[in-house]
Amino acid sequence: MTVLKASKSDLRKLLGAIAGEKRLIAPIADRTAVRFAEIADSAEICLEYRNPRMSARSALFPQSEVLLTFDGETATDARPEYRETVLFGVRPCDARAFTMLDRVFRWEGTDDPYYVGRREAATVVSLACNESGAACFCTSVGGAPHDETGSDVLAIDLGDDVLLRPVSERGETLLATFAPGMTEASEADLDRAAKFAEAAKAGQPDVAIPTDLEGLKKLFDSEVWEEFAMTCLGCGACTYSCPTCHCFDITDEEKRGVGYRVRSWDTCAFPLFTLHGSGHNPRPAKNARVRQRVLHKFLYCPENFEQVFCVGCGRCVTNCPTGIDIRKILGRVSQLVASG
Amino acid sequence: MSYQEDVRREAAKLLDEKTVHLFIGYADSDLPLKTAAHAIRSSADADQLVWNPACTANLAALLPDLLKRPEGFRGEWEPPKVGILAKGCVSRSIVGLIKANQIPRDALTIVGIACDGMVSRHWVVDQLGTAELVDATIDGGKVSVRASDGTEKTFDLDEALAPNCRVCTHRAAVIHDVAIGEAAEMDVDEAARYESVRAFAEKALDDRWAAFEEEISRCIRCYACREACPNCYCNECFAEETEPKWIGVTTDLSDLMLFHLGRAFHQAGRCVDCGACVAACPQAIDLRLLNQKINHDVQTLYGGEVSVSLEQPEPLLQFRMEDDEGFMTDPG
Amino acid sequence: MTDKATIQAGWEPRIAAFLCNWCSYAGADLAGVSRIQYPPNVRVIRVPCSGRINPLFVVKALQSGLDGVLVSGCHPGDCHYISGNLYARRKFALMKNLLEYVGIEPNRVHFSWVSAAEGIRFAQLLDGVIESVRELGPTTKMIKKLEAVQ
Repeated sequence: MTVLKASKSDLRKLLGAIAGEKRLIAPIADRTAVRFAEIADSAEICLEYRNPRMSARSALFPQSEVLLTFDGETATDARPEYRETVLFGVRPCDARAFTMLDRVFRWEGTDDPYYVGRREAATVVSLACNESGAACFCTSVGGAPHDETGSDVLAIDLGDDVLLRPVSERGETLLATFAPGMTEASEADLDRAAKFAEAAKAGQPDVAIPTDLEGLKKLFDSEVWEEFAMTCLGCGACTYSCPTCHCFDITDEEKRGVGYRVRSWDTCAFPLFTLHGSGHNPRPAKNARVRQRVLHKFLYCPENFEQVFCVGCGRCVTNCPTGIDIRKILGRVSQLVASG
Repeated sequence: MSYQEDVRREAAKLLDEKTVHLFIGYADSDLPLKTAAHAIRSSADADQLVWNPACTANLAALLPDLLKRPEGFRGEWEPPKVGILAKGCVSRSIVGLIKANQIPRDALTIVGIACDGMVSRHWVVDQLGTAELVDATIDGGKVSVRASDGTEKTFDLDEALAPNCRVCTHRAAVIHDVAIGEAAEMDVDEAARYESVRAFAEKALDDRWAAFEEEISRCIRCYACREACPNCYCNECFAEETEPKWIGVTTDLSDLMLFHLGRAFHQAGRCVDCGACVAACPQAIDLRLLNQKINHDVQTLYGGEVSVSLEQPEPLLQFRMEDDEGFMTDPG
Repeated sequence: MTDKATIQAGWEPRIAAFLCNWCSYAGADLAGVSRIQYPPNVRVIRVPCSGRINPLFVVKALQSGLDGVLVSGCHPGDCHYISGNLYARRKFALMKNLLEYVGIEPNRVHFSWVSAAEGIRFAQLLDGVIESVRELGPTTKMIKKLEAVQ
């Protein structure tokens, strides 16, 4: 598929045209914090960022959503018509995370209609990374700064211009509809893009990822989890900023005589997460919860999905109030696994 | 003044003499301007402890869980002997916890330390626009930082000081067994202390609502604020109770507001304005917007300083016949 | 203040009144048996003492869609439990000030003292409270949205 090239201002025009017909979600600078928002005017879009503080997960899987409403007699599906949506500015790590969420929300042939409804209405135009962030380690977990996995179009910032590489049929259709007649990228352009990709990769540390699943299982009762638990506050900052985390809670709310069944994100970091009705809690202490977080991503998901559920975005590192670094944890754990 | 060596020496001494089983202080993380609460059990680990203007955590928050009888424990529970590094606000939190019967005084060896205030990491990051904070050093009254876009900036420590540290009235520990350092005399008058409250109150009603809504809408219900706060020691937080259910777990704006209004209100007469909640918040929400209003009212209406004396009951556990009734409705 | 034109025709304010059993509830009862009229826009919730009232009741009431809240107890010095109302006074001063500070209309939340003998005063109080809430229009600020999410 042909790689197109547009000037930054033409890119904004293109995005403006998309916003006119579809729903456009893109990063904006909210004072100095960058976050994803629905865009009315493409001038709002921010292009100078490493990664928005919170992941793009909420575009497909919002933090709180009403599933259905009910009164004494009937229940009504609360799903709106999911509008055709373009997600722009998602980094390759977040885009890759969508493919992991797809595995969970379409598991064994059962589709989560809320997630899948949004997913099928979404076109992902990701923005490749020309520099790695301070906490990035996508290259250690199978990703890359210019990776195309999960994207429909990959945009590459060349400074004055932006390359637009269609990745899927959906991406091609989007470009054909909104950017007909856009110039083709030259060999020189593609070369520059490749150099950026290499530079971004080089900027990342090598994080030792424990791949010996049997070895990881043996660490279940290890005291190493206590070391990390000491610093952990037990808040949900890491899990809520993670692009691959997907646990949720379903609660019933009430307003003026109508019941609302709501799904909200939940986190294994909270003691309440595993509290049984009997009062028993299989993960009563923090070390068990820290262990769960790490093993879920690096042992249980590989067992269930043949996929490590971490894309190396580094948000958990950046957002942790006490500076816990998953890269350090993984290094230590890998050491322990290797020494048997 | 860097008392780091004194801290390490004192901690090592207390551990070697077996005065304490563990010592709680701060350790650096791998990230710039971020430290974490850290406990050591051997004097050999004393050099893991640091003391610098990024020591924002309120260490008292660790005490209730460390000292309480473990679940299922049978027999006489002897709490471990714990040494704790206490800057002014931390020592006040300790006073509050002792009065609330959450921790026994005699299990503690309090090493008071004179504090010159902490840097607001949120403020520093804000100065860098949308670029990331990559590196920071604090030296000689200056904070030097490097951002991911290559820019380098230097700030005076004074500029970068956390807002609560600017109006701190207790830089030295109000309760201690050992003291490190001499605290600078603090002379913060009431006008300066609650200037932010006054300024906010001057806005029109609906503008205040809009500002409150905007600030709180960033909340992701991670509860970092709650976990960082020494006063939040409840086994079951009101936010997670289901019988009765006070608030939902959703990010509906009303749930966000109710959580923060409720939590701030639960601090009434107990909050020492340590700033740990603000420092912990990953969304940099100005939680002091609520706490400072309540602190201001407690001080103005009922007088006294919160949690400086073991003898004085907390303001909401006392009353005077002449307490203010200006807020009431009188049908005449 | 809500534009009067946008208020649905026939809207009536709905107030929750938390009344302490020994004084205010008895005062309300006295108003009843004395046939003293006051608007019917109130739902009474009887509590043993104004000191039992969790300030969160007030905020929760607003979140649930009630347009106004009244809390009433014994006059200071008259509390059946000696000092419950005196602790309550401090709690409610702080809560009311906090709510007004963040932008909740002050007339949505009222606190008062009414004794068991003050049937007339109770009716006057409610007249005033209901009127002041009526002027504000339906509650909008704290209610749950629970809207469908795209």
